[in-house]
Amino acid sequence: MMIAIVCIDDSGGMLFNRRRQSQDRLLREDLLREAAGKTLWMNAYSARQFKGALPETVRAEEDFLDRAGSGELCFVENRDLAPYAGKLEGLIVYRWNRQYPADLFFTVPLENWTLVRQEEFAGSSHEKITKEVYSK
Amino acid sequence: MKLRITALTVLTALLSCLLLSACGGDTAVGNGTSVSTTTVVTLPEGQPSQPSTSAGSYSLEDIPAYSGTPYVELSGNVPGFADGDMTTNSFEDYSPLDSLGRCGVAYACIGVDLMPTEDRGSISSVTPTGWQNAQYDCVNGKYLYNRCHLIGFQLAGENANKQNLITGTRYLNVDGMLPFENLVADYVKETENHVLYRVTPVFEGDNLVADGVQMEALSVEDSGEDVCFNVFVYNVQPGVVIDYATGASRLDDAAPAVSGDAESVSYVLNTSSKKFHDPSCSNAGSISGKNREDYTGTRDALISQGYEPCGQCKP
Repeated sequence: MMIAIVCIDDSGGMLFNRRRQSQDRLLREDLLREAAGKTLWMNAYSARQFKGALPETVRAEEDFLDRAGSGELCFVENRDLAPYAGKLEGLIVYRWNRQYPADLFFTVPLENWTLVRQEEFAGSSHEKITKEVYSK
Repeated sequence: MKLRITALTVLTALLSCLLLSACGGDTAVGNGTSVSTTTVVTLPEGQPSQPSTSAGSYSLEDIPAYSGTPYVELSGNVPGFADGDMTTNSFEDYSPLDSLGRCGVAYACIGVDLMPTEDRGSISSVTPTGWQNAQYDCVNGKYLYNRCHLIGFQLAGENANKQNLITGTRYLNVDGMLPFENLVADYVKETENHVLYRVTPVFEGDNLVADGVQMEALSVEDSGEDVCFNVFVYNVQPGVVIDYATGASRLDDAAPAVSGDAESVSYVLNTSSKKFHDPSCSNAGSISGKNREDYTGTRDALISQGYEPCGQCKP
């Protein structure tokens, strides 16, 4: 089991042409606050956007989705989460509230999840970012 | 303060193409040369002129007919900027109108210094070629045509620049070009890096309305690691037939008619993006609760309310 963290646009897009749709310094800071004290998994592609400012609890491995354990978080940018849907115990969804091109989508239906927390904040380059925290 | 340069733009057929490999992936680059553009750019601050070759090494015949998705990738999504074009000095360059009054290539290096600092002004004084506007219930906002910026206002702050405005459908403007402009604008704002950005309207023969636009972009400082695309965006409007020679239009007779007998179907609406989805679409599942609405009715009724089908599930 694990908790996945994703960033999506208005169409549920995550990636276009093997590149993240967008990035935001304040979102990264918020993400690290969410993960404080917990193991945060990601791959090298995602780790690069933090520009080395990562705490020791972060582990960057290419097979991070297979290695993450219960209560641990996975920041997922360029991987399809569908094959891991059964392994998810929680979701943190950051919404850009923008439309970008996309060819990889967030494919986990949220109907069966419970929204336990929702926040909005201004990013460093995005007018309004919405954070939604879901549990099963 | 904006830095604008003068440039000589020459349309020609090219024998070969110098393509950057910075954002190249595992997809081969096309070899056709039917639509090509050479732009000679005088770079600012004394940098030497450099020829650049458009990745327009494609043929209009190679572009598939519109089939429900606003754009198709060209040349494996690899833009055709030459190595010599890579600059961290912002500039914008617009082609002179041709003998028919049509726009040509618009080319820029987008940086924060080029971006607008004031609200958008009026552009209604510009009448681009083929501007025969009409209203349809199936178009979001009713009006078929927008004065469509080649270099989007959010990128370069250009208002009533007739060399930067074409007759584009609402669909081209909002569903086709805007997402790519958003991607570039937000990257530049976030990183303060630069993005080489080129938009080429593609006119067939002497048509006054473009079939579409080629959009190319490449982030400079990271050699395309974050921004890299090369797409053709269709200048179409679902439900409307356009005469590209003149700009005249009519409702598409082949489209399903709005009828009380039409079949009611369940859809999921995104009231923010004005897209509708099949209930099984993964995009439907990820719609925020406040923007989600379940709907049962006809597809045409939704379209008449300004909704557009999701490009992924194509309901």
